Order: sequence, then structure tokens, then C-alpha cells
Amino acid sequence: MFKKVMPLIGLLLIASFVLAACQPAATPTAAPEQPTTAPAEPTTAPAEPTTAPAEPTTPPTAEQVTITIWHQWDGKYLEAITQAFKDYEASHPNVKIDLSKPEDVANALNVAIPAGEGPDIIGWANDKIGEQALQGNIVALNDFGIDKAFLESVYTESGINGVTWMDTIWALPETMEGIALVANKALVTEEYLPTDPFAWDDLLAKAEKFYADKGIPLICNQGFGAEDAYHMSPIYFGFGVPAYVDEDGNAYMDTPEALKAAEWLVKLKAVSLAENSYDICNAALQEGKVGMWWTGPWAIAGIEDAGIDYTIVSMGKPFVGIKTLMLSKNAVDRGKAEVALDVMKYFTSAEVQKKLALVNKTIPAQKAAIEDPEVAQLPAVAGYGKALAIGVPMSPSPFSSAQWGPVGRASAAIWTGAQDPQTALKEAQAAIVEAVAGMK
Amino acid sequence: MNTWKGTRKGLTIFFFLFPTMLGILVFNVYPIVLNTYISFTNRNKFRPKPDCEVFFTGLLDPLCWPQFRQNAQGGLGQPYRLAEPLFANYQALLGKLFSAEALMALGKILLAFTPLIGAVYVNRRLDREIERPISSGGVWLIAIALVVGLGVLLSIRAAFNQLMTTGPFIIVVLRTILFVAIRVPLTFVFGLTLALILNDSRLKGKTFFRVALFVPWGASSVAILMALVWQFFFRQQGTINQLFSQIGIQGPIWLQNPVSAFGVVVLADLWFSYPFFMVAILGALQSIPVELYEAAEVDGANWWVQLQRITLPLIRPAVLPATVLTSITAFQMFGTAYAITAGGPLAGADTPGATEFVMVYAYRQIYQLQNYGRATAFAVLIFIMLFLATLYSLRITRITKGAYES
Repeated sequence: MFKKVMPLIGLLLIASFVLAACQPAATPTAAPEQPTTAPAEPTTAPAEPTTAPAEPTTPPTAEQVTITIWHQWDGKYLEAITQAFKDYEASHPNVKIDLSKPEDVANALNVAIPAGEGPDIIGWANDKIGEQALQGNIVALNDFGIDKAFLESVYTESGINGVTWMDTIWALPETMEGIALVANKALVTEEYLPTDPFAWDDLLAKAEKFYADKGIPLICNQGFGAEDAYHMSPIYFGFGVPAYVDEDGNAYMDTPEALKAAEWLVKLKAVSLAENSYDICNAALQEGKVGMWWTGPWAIAGIEDAGIDYTIVSMGKPFVGIKTLMLSKNAVDRGKAEVALDVMKYFTSAEVQKKLALVNKTIPAQKAAIEDPEVAQLPAVAGYGKALAIGVPMSPSPFSSAQWGPVGRASAAIWTGAQDPQTALKEAQAAIVEAVAGMK
Repeated sequence: MNTWKGTRKGLTIFFFLFPTMLGILVFNVYPIVLNTYISFTNRNKFRPKPDCEVFFTGLLDPLCWPQFRQNAQGGLGQPYRLAEPLFANYQALLGKLFSAEALMALGKILLAFTPLIGAVYVNRRLDREIERPISSGGVWLIAIALVVGLGVLLSIRAAFNQLMTTGPFIIVVLRTILFVAIRVPLTFVFGLTLALILNDSRLKGKTFFRVALFVPWGASSVAILMALVWQFFFRQQGTINQLFSQIGIQGPIWLQNPVSAFGVVVLADLWFSYPFFMVAILGALQSIPVELYEAAEVDGANWWVQLQRITLPLIRPAVLPATVLTSITAFQMFGTAYAITAGGPLAGADTPGATEFVMVYAYRQIYQLQNYGRATAFAVLIFIMLFLATLYSLRITRITKGAYES
């Protein structure tokens, strides 16, 4: 009898070992973090990582801390930004900043954060705030001493609105973005430039005349024909659509304004490139194969490098996105919240953003930086300033994430003629409504 | 004593089987069960958390197990629940498939293709006769003529268009089947032609051609890169249109037209996959004894008769498994289609694009929309479909066995 039971007991033992091997996944993955970050203080109890965030960080002086930032900064932008973080490392020898740019941030976060891996700081646009807060990947900053008064002392109003959702502060604003027409002055003379940001018929007539005169399209926009609701925003909003979807989850794609915008788009297609992308528009503008590029401040540094004499003209009402830094749940679990927050405050400070604006031509979201005379006189800042002033701020509510796919796909179908504007917009409206229902 | 031996034997068997059983349970059965369960919930990116109070969620979702519980995401989102109605995800995918019109359309399409199945049986019957009244090619021609005739008679195009408005599942699956049905025969014909040429004793520099023609198969290890090259050929400002403009023709915008975009994907994938057929057929060709051809020559059979009566029947054992394999890879088409068109040209907010095949659709549901409930329901439907197809294909591959034995 005993021998009969032995194998069973053995089996149970093995099973319990296997399960025990799984068990530590939660605690010890956080624990090894501790020795590397806090060799001096082994007593800071790695047992309860969720409740002990404040203790190990209060004296962030001696121990070595590595802050991982997942970001979206590209190519030339990144050089100056990396330099800014190097300066921080130089003045804080105990802090090491690790920048990385994962391919698919949304999915990568959903895997990394529950496993206790991943970034301490996430650099992302503000429309992701609601979604990430629902998923629990980011934490509210109110618990870490950031309040409305602090925000008001540093950041612009649109920046503050962009990071506040449900009366809670979820991120620190870095820069503002939006798109406007960047015209190559050598090709586009005064007669082809739009005079009023809402004179759509006038712009269409000018595009047709330009095409007839020079044989090349007037406007290149990477959103034309692609799944890209962002680059379509000046047109829809400029025709009077209040938002794709508002903070209460109401969609506006079946409105007569949206239909008018879509019909205008169909007319513009006749005098545009059929295929557009960032690279196509960039090359076309630099080679003089297109008159204007409907793009954002991120493209300006490249255009200046190519030696193009340009001017920025605002057209329609673009989406105004706020680039932000968010604090991940893991920074808190690992006890690095305070150091991470210090890095965030440093990077979104007026002096750092002023330096970056001068090199990268970005539009800072800090009052002191944007009002700085040196920054204000930059052509990019002045030009985009006007466009952003009449733009539609991106909402941090999670409903924002319901808009991109449907509006982008519908606009692409309208552009290629796969669907007529009416059908396409009706389908987009239904898709947004369905997605919003999935959130409520 | 006797019973002890029996128990011991039983235990020995148990311990030998246990690791495999455990492996099957953990890596096959559990994921399928979890996937099926998720397909009945409204889990999506806004509802990432499990509600461990619900019995099945608590049992199946790893985040509810005590080992992982503290890793579960916090967040403000609601936990996911069973969908209401329970089959909501399936309904969204199947749409109006079970309406009278849609079923009628599906029936019409199936009916139109029945002559092909009939041809198989007629040929099998005729093969048993000593003197065939009509050649197998003739039977096939009649069957194809019947298919075309029935197609016109039943207005199959209208039926197809009717089906294309039912719901995403049938659209995506029909398009994928169409892709397989076009791509696999094309690959076969192309691979067979090249293999016959390469097998000809009069050809000089055989080694060079074999290597050169095999290159695409090697290139498929960097499939995405090569697919981007194909995309570049067919862009508005791409190589093909540049060539056209040299002779004064304005080329079409290939990738924005549903039909030509589909064609480009077929062409690119044909290029990737013909070497597989070519090599399989070449190997089979070289195993055919030369005497058979010599005897046929003596009997006065020409090249075409030799191909029909000797070559094709004798390479069948090699070609059939290759066809089944290629059909499976074609059904799973993802990389090439995604790299060239990303499922486009887009056909609307909720309508799958012209090259949005099964895998591309699933990818979008999971990675772009993070609509886990819908995606898992899609997986379940595909599983059921492929399970039935596999049962049928087992019957087909038994033919191979017959060919070897007789």
C-alpha cells in the first residue's frame, strides 16, 4: 500500500516544486532589481515591492539607479534628446538613463508591465493616457506630489489640459504637435498660398491651378490613401466636425460637415499623388516634385538641412497632440518612482525644452520656453504656433483610441474610391460607436 | 502477487506516458480551452483584467492563479465578463451568414463547383475500363465547361457579391480560399514547366540554372525584405510604372485597385514558392526510369502523350503531398501580403481590405485592435473549418499510399 502511494506522493512533490518555481515570478523578479539598485541598503525589504516605493527612493543619493525610458523619438530628434539626458547623468552620477524604442509599444507594455519588466518612464502622445490608465500600465502623478499648482507654474494651458483626465494628472507635457502646410517658396509663389485657413474651395482651386501650371501636385499629405486619421484631422475639423469622438464617447463621423470634408478630399485627389507616405512626401518636397507638405514640426529640421526655403501656412484645424512623459506602474513597484519623476521634471523643464526647441524646432509646452524670445522667433515655432492655436486638442480620454482605425480606414477607402463618402463615413461612425460601447 | 504485478505494470505505463500527457495538457489542451473561453467574453484592451470571482475565469485565467495573482494589472478598467449575448463575438464575425439569402448564395457557389467532384469520380470509373471512351483530360474539360455554364446560369458573381456583404469571417475566408485556389495551381504549372526544362538532357549549364532558379526559396528567409522589393516595383512611382512611362504609358496605381493588388500579392508569393514545387518535381522526374520513355518512343507516343501517360502519373506521389503543404502555407499567408499591402487597399472602416487574408485579419484584431474576444472567436471558427479540411485531406493523402503500392 505504502509503495503504491509513494509514486503519487513523489508526483505531488514534483508538481509542488514546479508550481513553486513559478511562484517566485512575482516577488523575486522585483527582488533582483533591488540588489543592483540598492546594494548599500539590503534592508529595504524586497518582500513587499508594491508598498515600499517611497522608502528606498527618499535618499536617492548614493545607490546606482537605472531609469529605463521607452520613447517615440526618431532619427535626428534623438541626438539632441540623448545629449539632454547625458547632461542629467553628468550632474547625477548615481543615475543611469537607458533609452529604447520598442517597435510596438502598446503590446510590448501589456506583456512587460504585468511581468515586472519594462520601462520606468513612457514617452508617448497624450491620447494614450486614458487607455493606459484603464489598463493600469501608468500611475497617477497626484500621489507623487504633482499638483495643479505645480503644473500651472510651469506648463502651458493646453499642455495641462492634455495630461489631465478625470481631474487626475497622468503625465508631464513635453512638447506640442500638430500639422500645417510647409511650402517650398521656390515653387509655391504667393498666388498659390492659402490666405484663410478655412477657405477650402480657394485651396482646391489653387491646387488645380498649380497642377495645370506646373504639372505637379500642390499638396502632399502622408494621410492621403493611408490609414491615418491624424493627418486627416485638419480637413475634417476644418470643415466643422467638432471631434471624431468626444470625451463622452459621442462620434461625429455621420455629420454633414464630415461628408463635406470627404467630398472635398475626393476632389483634391484628382490633383494629388495617389500614393503618399512620409518618405514619398519628404522626397517629393526636397526634389521639387510637390509644392507643399502637410506635416508637423518634426519634419522641419530635415527640410532646413536640405536647404529648402520654406514657409509655414496654417490650414484647417489640426489635432493638437501633447507629447508627454508618463510614469509606469513598474517604476513604483521597483521603488524608482521618485528618481524617475525627477528625470521627468528635468526633461520637461523650460530650460531643457528651450535647448531642444532651438535644435529640433519642436514647440515646447512650457510657458517660459515658448515665451522665450529666442524660441518665439523661430519660424517653425511662429508658424506652427498659429496652426496649433486654432487646432483641436487631442483628448486624453480612452475613447480617443476608438477613433484612429475607423476614421483612418474610412478615409483611405474614400481616397481609393473603394467606398463612396456617404457609405464610408456611415461605416466609420458605426465602428466608433461599437468600439466606444466596448469600453463602457 | 498477481495483482501487484498488474499495478506495477500499470504504473510503469503511467510514468512513461505521464510527461507526454502533461505536455499535451499544458501546451495543447489548456491553450485551446482558454482560447475558447475568452471567445465567449468581451475581453479587449479596455477590459484587460480578469474577474476572478467568475468561476471559469478564476479557473482558467493564469492571472487568477495564486502564483500570478499579484502580477494582475490594476488600472481603472472594468474586468472582462461573459459576452451578452453569449455568442456576440461569433455573431459579429459571421454576420448575416445564416440568413436565407446568404445560405442560398453559398449553396449556389458550392453547386456550381460540383461538376469538378463529379469529374474525379467519372475518371475513376473510366480508369477501370480497358478501353476509355473519353480521355481524362476530356472529362475535365467537360466538367470545367459545366462549371462555367452553371456559374452563368446561377449568376455566381451575384451570389459571391451577396456573400461578400455578410460579415468579416466569410469575406476573409473566401478571399483566402480564392488566393489558395489561384496561387497553388499557378505554382504547380510554373514549377512543372521549369522542372521539365531543367530535366532535359540537352540543356547546358544545368547546375547554374538550378541554383539560379532556387534563389527565391533561399530569399524567402528574408521574405519581408523581398516583399518590400516587390512592393517597390508596383508603387505609383515604382519600377514598373517608370518603365511604362519610358514608352509613354501612364501606369495604373497597382496597389490601390483591389484586383491588381491581389494580383501583385499572388505574383510575389508565386515567386517565393515555385522553387519548392520545382525541386519536388525535379526529384520525382529523375526517379522515372528512362526505359519507359524509350518504350513509349518505340510505340510512337509523342511528347504530349508521354507527359500525360508517363510523367504526370509517376510524379503524382511526390506532387500530392507538396500540393497539400503549399496549400497550407498559402492559407497561412501573412508576411508577403502584410509587407506589400498591409491588407489593403482598405475597403472601409469595418470591411476587410482586398488582401486581408485570414492571418492578416487575425493579426489586426489582436495586435492592432487588441480585440481579444473577437480574435479568439475567429480562431475557433478557423479551427473548426481547418479541422474539417484536415479530415478531408487525410482522405486525399491516402491516394498517395495507393500510388506507391500498386
